[in-house]
Amino acid sequence: MKNIKIGIPRALLYYYYFPFWLKLFSELKLKVVISDKTSRDLLDRGVKKSLSEICVPIKVMIGHVLNLDKKEVDYIFLPRFRTIREDVVLCPKFLGLPDMIRHSLPSLKAEVIADIIEAESDDISQFSNHKKLAEELKIPKKEMETALKKAAEFWQRYRNLLYKGYLVDDFLGVEKIEVLEKLISKFENSSKLPQSQKEELNSSTTEEVVDIALIGYVYDVYDQYINMDITNKLKEMGVRVHTFSMVREDIIEKELAELRKPMFWEFTNKLYGAAEHYFKKQEIDGVIHLTAFGCGPDSMLGQILEIDAKDYDKAFMTLRIDEQTGESHIITRIEAFIDLLRLKKE
Amino acid sequence: MRLSFPYMGPTIVYKKLFELLGHDVVMPPKPNKEIIDLGVKHSPEFACFPFKVITGIYLKLMEKDVDTLVTSGGHGPCRAGYYGEVHKKILRDLGYDQVEIIVIDSPRDDYRYFYEIVKKLKGSSSWLQVARTIKIVYELTKALDEVEKQVEVLRAYNENGVINRIWLDAQEEFYQIKSARDIEKTKNKYLTKLNEFKDSIPAEEDRYRIGIIGEIYVVLEQSINNQIEEKVNYFGFEVERSQYLTDWIRENAFPFTGKELEEIEKKGEEFIEIEIGGHARGNIGHAIDFKERGFDGIIHLKPFGCLPELVSQSVIDDLSEKYEIPVLTISIDEQTADANVLTRVEAFLDMIKEKDMREVM
Repeated sequence: MKNIKIGIPRALLYYYYFPFWLKLFSELKLKVVISDKTSRDLLDRGVKKSLSEICVPIKVMIGHVLNLDKKEVDYIFLPRFRTIREDVVLCPKFLGLPDMIRHSLPSLKAEVIADIIEAESDDISQFSNHKKLAEELKIPKKEMETALKKAAEFWQRYRNLLYKGYLVDDFLGVEKIEVLEKLISKFENSSKLPQSQKEELNSSTTEEVVDIALIGYVYDVYDQYINMDITNKLKEMGVRVHTFSMVREDIIEKELAELRKPMFWEFTNKLYGAAEHYFKKQEIDGVIHLTAFGCGPDSMLGQILEIDAKDYDKAFMTLRIDEQTGESHIITRIEAFIDLLRLKKE
Repeated sequence: MRLSFPYMGPTIVYKKLFELLGHDVVMPPKPNKEIIDLGVKHSPEFACFPFKVITGIYLKLMEKDVDTLVTSGGHGPCRAGYYGEVHKKILRDLGYDQVEIIVIDSPRDDYRYFYEIVKKLKGSSSWLQVARTIKIVYELTKALDEVEKQVEVLRAYNENGVINRIWLDAQEEFYQIKSARDIEKTKNKYLTKLNEFKDSIPAEEDRYRIGIIGEIYVVLEQSINNQIEEKVNYFGFEVERSQYLTDWIRENAFPFTGKELEEIEKKGEEFIEIEIGGHARGNIGHAIDFKERGFDGIIHLKPFGCLPELVSQSVIDDLSEKYEIPVLTISIDEQTADANVLTRVEAFLDMIKEKDMREVM
């Protein structure tokens, strides 16, 4: 039974939950195959099989599912995220993701395991969220629960590091669980500060360091192919990069409480809360809203942030990425933005 | 209060509602090129088309000194439920900070706010009057829908203009109505009028029917869906929609009625397992229902980039193959050209007739 290969697409919430899933499957002693990093070829295949007007992250996801199928995995692990907070759901495309995959890729050989995720918080480690997985792979409930608990603890340790100021990027390259465990322990015991907190940056420029909050979903901010590696580009230009995953839940919660009616999309709310938090923070020089072509919730969020940025008198820029974004355009725009921030600081 | 509301479907219904409650009602302008351009200019680029149209309508209404806008809310995950909040921001940013947007959300979401707005809208009317008003408006909508369904059939076999004239007259007359008794009378009058054309309907095997499904705003609002129904009728096909205004009111005002609708919508489960917002799953159910009732094709309308309808569009190819029913999906936004829609509809309908002919031979 342990020869089964489970494929996890490196897309969407992989960037949020990967330490949890890697730990979970390693505890269950199951072989995991992660799809290749997003590339031109992978994306092209995804684009070909998706509706032209659907958002880029979904196109990327379809590319990754096809990539896994080519690797001849037995199962594709594709949870249907419905809610991770009371009364708030995710974007309709998340809710309908397994349906879209099943019906638009009928030639898929691998079986799709799509548990419905319904949790009260970001902690999705309840057994009810993994029932189908346990049934399909004939894992006893006890064993599953133990593994889930360990995975949840592991993920919490990782999350605490993010709150300290580490980027998801700092962990992403690692897929072997032993290495990831070591890395997390190393960071936990290290006296060195993460990049976003450092006084001095070892970048190539000698110009003044600026602080930018990069507001965007994990699958836009950390997919280095789709965003042309924007975080590293910013770092090289002498920028301390801040993202929403560094903002603690309670801070986001407080910002949301000020709205008469929060939005319906969990991660959009998280971005909103984080952005408002950064707007108010003196140290932050500018905010970049990184959004993907066709993102519906972002069309609402973007408008709100744009108006709020004016109220707070914060520099604000929207950067839209799609399947054909040219690298030079991103560089030109962030360079111009950073120059402007430096001028403002003088 | 000098109030107005977004334009959708037969707007006289809302006008009637607020008028009967004793408010000074300003009729919103029908969406046209000018309004759409205005809306597009002041809306986020990737907002869905209905959002942009409504922005345009609101801004146009600002010229008429409206102080209150009433709109529906919702708890998502379709973006439409959040329109009101974003429109507030946009209007305030443009300097219209004195206007109030009243968003009618479900009392379940925030009952105190709900109570506040109901009290406000109620004005000086008594609760009994309110109940009576709602009943009149609901009956009015039902009557209108009933007449319209006839129109959508008869227009296929008669000159569009002739039937449209009757339909316009009917709307005009319904608009003057004051009591529930008048509704019945007016309805019967126009149904009789339409009945005179009954003979034009051919034998059952020669009838062609098209079901229209999709996002509610573009399905209901003729002025932004390029009069798609008239176009289909023009080529000799009958039309029926998945949604009428009655359904919308029922869904929003009386959430516990409508068993038969629920059953149709449940059929969508085969393709979309859980409720994903908007009417996506219901639409899939309606598509299956149309097939079971012997319809010849489905036209699926959606605003460009509509979140729930993109999911239904993703599964609809599979449905079309499995249930052997042709489906044409049309995305609508500010760039949709009339000629484009006309050509696509014509080609689609030709294809259906051609296929039918070959099968007979």
